Amino acid sequence: MEEGFIENRATSVPFAGILADLLTANLTQRSEKRAVYDNMRGTVAIELVDIETAVTLVFAAGKLRIEEGIVGRPEIVIRTASDRVMDLNALRIVGGLPWYFDEAGRRVLSHLVSGRLKIKGLFTHPLLLTQLTKIMSVM
Amino acid sequence: MAKYNAMTQEWLDAWKQKIATSKEYKEIAKNWEGSVSIIVNPDPEKGIPEPIYVFTDYWHGDVLDFLICDKAKAESARFVMSGDYTRWKQVAKKEVDSTKALMQGKLKLKGDLTYVVRNIKTVNKVIDLLCEIETIWPDEA
Repeated sequence: MEEGFIENRATSVPFAGILADLLTANLTQRSEKRAVYDNMRGTVAIELVDIETAVTLVFAAGKLRIEEGIVGRPEIVIRTASDRVMDLNALRIVGGLPWYFDEAGRRVLSHLVSGRLKIKGLFTHPLLLTQLTKIMSVM
Repeated sequence: MAKYNAMTQEWLDAWKQKIATSKEYKEIAKNWEGSVSIIVNPDPEKGIPEPIYVFTDYWHGDVLDFLICDKAKAESARFVMSGDYTRWKQVAKKEVDSTKALMQGKLKLKGDLTYVVRNIKTVNKVIDLLCEIETIWPDEA
């Protein structure tokens, strides 16, 4: 994979490093995820409320910049706790869409219903959210 | 229940025995392949004058070597987790979630993160079983 396809500008935020490592591994190992990534455009913020950490992911067709904090006006903002954010990585992709009908999917739905997971842009930016789920999923 | 001094071979043997006899672990870990090292950074004030290196090895629900080892052996593991003594103690006492500690950078992981996330239930089960061991901590003895 070519150098510089993920630019992590939030090097002082450990969570940003974890995201960058995870995405690098996923996109390197899985060509179908790379194809999705190459078409992504938009901005997503992830806030881990319990550890007061936030990063913003700026996708620009094959490039990703990770910024510290919530920068600009992200189309999607995901707010959850640090020990739940990895539940999103456990979602399976079935027929090109996130699958909510197994244990991992039901856990994410339960977090959404209970308010432990909040996603701003869930209904207004479904394509970007689906693309994000696809590239973040490790399943 | 017997008590074991933390980070000794006896403590590791007790942990290994817990895992080896857990039917739930065997089922959850049936796909796990590979070794995990724990590096405890030195903290002389807490009774840890030198780094401690622990090597643990797992294979499809079976438990292999559980050893206090040297740095080279620890670094040969498929996954290497490192952190301060206080943080490891909090994890082993269930005072801190290991995922949260990773996100905060208080524990560090070397190795394929996607594999760990795919198998997070196995990791959590191993930690849960560690938490069940009656442990004497060097700074509490």
